[in-house]
Amino acid sequence: MRLPIVLGALALGFSLLAWQGRYWGFRGEVDNDDAPFPPDGNEKTEFVFARLRYPSVRFAWGFRGNWATDYWKADRQFVQGVRRLTRIHVRSAEHVVDLDSDEIYDWPWIYAVEVGHWDLTDAQCKRLRDYLLRGGFLMVDDFHGTWEWENFMASLSRIFPDRPVVDIDSKDPIFHVLYDLDERFQVPGIQYWYSGRIYEKDGIEPRWRAVYDDKGRIMVAICHNMDLGDAWEWADHPRYPEHYASLAYRIGINYIIYAMTH
Amino acid sequence: MFELLFKYPPAAFSKGHLVWLSPWPLSWLAPALIAAALLLGWRLWRKPAPHILAGPRRRLALWALQAGFVALLLLMLWQPALSVATLKPQQNIIAVLLDDSRSMTVEEDGVKRVEQARRLLNDGLLDELRARFQVRLYAFGHATARIERPEQVAGSAQATHIGEALRTVLAEASAAPIGAVVLLSDGGDTRGGVPHGVVEELRARRLPVHAIGFGRERYQRDVELAGVEAPARVPPGSRVAALVRLRQAGYTRSRVRLAVEEDGKTLNAREVTLSGPEQIETVLFNSGTPGPHRLRFTAQPLEGEENPRNNAATRLLRVEEVTPRILYIEGEPRWEFKFIRRAVEEDPGLQLTTLLRTTENKLYRQGVADAKELEQGFPAQPEELFGFRGLIIGSVEANYFTPAQQQLIHDFADRRGGGVLFLGGRRALAETGWNRPPLVDMLPVLLPQRTGTFRRDRARVALTQVGRESLITRLVEPPEANVERWRNLPELADYQEVGEPKPAALVLATLETPQGRTLPLLVTQNYGRGRVAVFATGGSWRWQMLQPLSDMTHETFWQQLLRWLVSGATGEVSGSTPAPVLEDESRVLLRAEVRDKAFRPVADARVEARILGPAGLAENVELRPVADQPGVYEAEWSAPEAGGYSAEIQARWGEQELGRDLILFRREDGVAEDFRMLQNRELLQALASATGGRYYRLQEARRLAEEITYSEAGISVRELRDLWDMPILLLLAFGLRSAEWLLRRKWGAV
Repeated sequence: MRLPIVLGALALGFSLLAWQGRYWGFRGEVDNDDAPFPPDGNEKTEFVFARLRYPSVRFAWGFRGNWATDYWKADRQFVQGVRRLTRIHVRSAEHVVDLDSDEIYDWPWIYAVEVGHWDLTDAQCKRLRDYLLRGGFLMVDDFHGTWEWENFMASLSRIFPDRPVVDIDSKDPIFHVLYDLDERFQVPGIQYWYSGRIYEKDGIEPRWRAVYDDKGRIMVAICHNMDLGDAWEWADHPRYPEHYASLAYRIGINYIIYAMTH
Repeated sequence: MFELLFKYPPAAFSKGHLVWLSPWPLSWLAPALIAAALLLGWRLWRKPAPHILAGPRRRLALWALQAGFVALLLLMLWQPALSVATLKPQQNIIAVLLDDSRSMTVEEDGVKRVEQARRLLNDGLLDELRARFQVRLYAFGHATARIERPEQVAGSAQATHIGEALRTVLAEASAAPIGAVVLLSDGGDTRGGVPHGVVEELRARRLPVHAIGFGRERYQRDVELAGVEAPARVPPGSRVAALVRLRQAGYTRSRVRLAVEEDGKTLNAREVTLSGPEQIETVLFNSGTPGPHRLRFTAQPLEGEENPRNNAATRLLRVEEVTPRILYIEGEPRWEFKFIRRAVEEDPGLQLTTLLRTTENKLYRQGVADAKELEQGFPAQPEELFGFRGLIIGSVEANYFTPAQQQLIHDFADRRGGGVLFLGGRRALAETGWNRPPLVDMLPVLLPQRTGTFRRDRARVALTQVGRESLITRLVEPPEANVERWRNLPELADYQEVGEPKPAALVLATLETPQGRTLPLLVTQNYGRGRVAVFATGGSWRWQMLQPLSDMTHETFWQQLLRWLVSGATGEVSGSTPAPVLEDESRVLLRAEVRDKAFRPVADARVEARILGPAGLAENVELRPVADQPGVYEAEWSAPEAGGYSAEIQARWGEQELGRDLILFRREDGVAEDFRMLQNRELLQALASATGGRYYRLQEARRLAEEITYSEAGISVRELRDLWDMPILLLLAFGLRSAEWLLRRKWGAV
C-alpha cells in the first residue's frame, strides 16, 4: 500500500520540479520546443556548434542536466550570427556530443555551459585532455561565483593537474583575431530582467581565463561570471540590452576563429 | 673460315661497298636474269617430259636449281667487286693506347690485366703492326703520355680518362697521319664515359678506334654501392632521403646493412635484403645543424666479397641557414588551416606565413615578418611574392585574385622556381574558376569543367606505386609498413574531384569515395623552374584529431610535403656544380644562375667565386656568361690537392650586390678505380662501333693487325677487290649443279 503512495509523491515532486524548471532551470528548452528544426539543420558544413553533454552534480542525465541550459535556441541563434558575420561555413543547427565516445574528436570546437555543475568521470577527464592536446578547443560559459568556480576546477584539475588557469591578457590574439575586444564588460544572463543585477551569486567581476598548451595556444577558454549563452539566446528579445548581446556575439565569434587558426 | 670462303676479312666488307666492273650496264642484269629464268621454264614445260618428271613439283624444283645456277653465272659475268679504302703501308701511324690505371692490376687467372696487354703487344701484335705502319705507344690514366715500350706501363694511375687519351690522339692527328687507334683497356672510365664531342670528332675524321677489352665482365661474389643520389642542399632540420643503388652478384637473398655516417657517427642504418642484380634503396636521415656535412654511405661488406672497396661512397650536404618561407592564403576559416599551421610550427626548418579571409572584408595575418608585410593582402608585385619559396592556395575563389596576381602565381612556379600547392575546398579548383588560363596550365591535373566537385563525405586513402617510393608520403619505415600505415589512416573529412592527372604528373596517393570511386588525392608535377601539387581535400586534419597524441602522422606528412614544395626554390643567386665529389679528378665546373628580385635573368652581372681550400688556399675566380643561357655564368677551376673546398659566389650589378651563394665540393683521391674493377665492355663496344672500329676480345685480338688496314683516316688509297672469284660463289655453283644431278638420279632420270 505504501509503494503507490511513495511513487505518487515522487511523480508529484518531479512534476513540480519540471514546472519550476520552465522558469528557473529549463527556460530555453521550453521556449524552444515548439520551434521547427531548420530545413538545412543537417547540412554537412565545416563548422558545427558542438555542445558538450556532461554529467552534473545536481541532475541525472535523464533530466538533461545543466549541460542543456539555453539549449538549443542559444546555439542556433548564435550560429546565425556567425554565418552572417564571417566566411565560416556553419551548420544552422547544433550537435550534442559527449565524452563517452571517440566521436568528440570529430568536433574540434566544443561549448560547455554551466560548468560550475559539471562532474566528469576519470575516463571523461582523460578523453577531454587527449582531445585538447590533439588540437581541440573547449569554450566554457555561464557559471558564477566562488562555489561554481571551485566545482568547475574540481574536474578541470583532473583534466590538467599540471597546467594553471590564467587570466587572458588583453593583447592575446583571441581578443583581436577578428574583433578588437580590449573594452570588455560583464554580460548578464536573463535574470537581469527581474533582478536588475548584472552578476549572479558572488560573481561580481567577469573573468576571461584560459588554460594554455606548451606552445602558448589556448585550449580551454573560460568565461566566468558572465552568461554569453543567455545573451545569444535572448539577443532577439527587445528587453535584452543590445550591447550585451553584441559583445557576446563578438566574443563567441573571436573564440571560434581563434580555435580555427591557432 | 670467313676469309676462306669470302676471300677477304669481315672488316673489308663492313668498310667497303659493292661495285660492278662489267662494261655492260647494270640495268641489263635484272632483265637478263628474268629472261634466263623464263627461257629455262619454257624449255622445261614445252617438250613432253618423261613420266618421271611429269609432276609440277619436280619440274619446279629443276627449274629453280637451273635458274639459280644461270643467275649465279650472270652475276659473276657482271664482275662484282669491293671498293674499300686501305691504309697505305708505311705511311700511316697507328696510335696504341695502353690503360695504365690501377684497375689494370687486377689479376685474371693469375695474370694481371696489364701483363696480359703487355704480352699481347710483345708477342706479335706490335711487330705485325710495325711491319705495315708506324706505331706510337701511349700510356693513359689521369693523363696521357707517349711511351717507348709496353713495359713502361705498370697500372699505377688513380683514374681512367679514355676521353682525354683520345683527345690527345686527335690533337696529334691534325699534324700526323694517324690511321687508326688501338685501345687496350678494361673500359673502367672514371668519368663515366667518353664525351660526346670526342666521339663526334673521331667520326668526323673517320678515325676508327679498335678496342681490345681486358678483364671479366661480372663478379662472382660482390656487393657494390653503385651510386648515391642525395640533395646537395636542404633547409635546416630536414629529413633527407638518399637513394642508394646497390649491385650484387652471388648474394641474392642475403641481408646487408646500409648506413649513412658523419665523422664516424651513424646517422641512420637499415638492413635490406638483396633481391636482384641491381636495386635502389632509400636511406632516410636527419640533416643536422646548418653548415656543410660530409656524409659517408656504406654497405657493410659481406663475407667473401671479391671487392670490398666498392662498398662506400661520399656525398656532401649543405644545410642552409635560411629558413624557407611559405605563404598560405586561405579563403575561409577551416580546420585544415589550423592543423597545417600547427604541423609546421613543429618544424624549425619551415616558416609559414598565412593570410586568412575571416570575413568578406577582413584578412587575418599570421607569421608576418613585420606589421607592414602583406598589409594590403595578397602580393601584387613579384618582389613581394617571390621572397617566399612556397605558396599554398586553399579554399579561395580564382577571381579573388586580379589577372595580374593570377599571372604572378603562375610565374611564382614558372620563373621564380617556387612550389605551389593547391588544396581542395568548397571554393577551390573547379568550384570557382581555377580551370581557366593562366593558372590551369600550371596545375598537374585536368580540372573538370563543372562545379559540384567538392563533397563533405568521408574518404579512405591509399598510396600508389609512385607514392611508395616518394619521400613526401613516407610516414614510417620500412616501405611495406608505410603502405599499411596509409591504408589505416583515419578517413578524410572531405574530398574534391580534381580530374585526370596530366601526362607528366605523378599521383602519389588516391582516395576512395563512399561510392567506391578511386580519385587522385595527391598529385605533383614540375612546372617551369618550379613545382606544383594538388592535395584534393581540406580534411586531413582528422589524421591529427582521430589518432593518439603520440602519433606524428599528420605533422610528418605536412612537413615533408611542404619541404618538398620549397626544396627546388633558390635565392636570386644560386650556385651549383655537377659533381660535388671529385673522385680522382681535379677539374670542377662552378655554375651560377643570377636573377634580380623579380627573378628575371641578369645577363650583365659581375660574378666571382671566392674559393677556400686545404692548407689555407684562397683564390678568386671569375665566372663568365654562358652563351644562349641568359643569367647563367660558369668557370672551370682545378683543385690542386685532395680535401674539402668551398666557393662563395657573389654577383654584383654595378655597385649593387644581387646576392651570394655557397658551393661545396671535395676532391678525393684513390677511390674512383675501386668502383671500376670490371671490364666495361659496353663502353668499349659502343666507342668502337660509333667510330667505325671493332671490339676485340683478348683471344681474337691478333686479327686486328690485318683488319686495321681498312680505314679512311690517315693516308689511304681506295682499292677495287674482285668478288666474282670468291670461293663461296664457286662452291654455290657446284652445289646447284650437284643438287640437280642428285635429284635426277633419285627420280631415276639418269
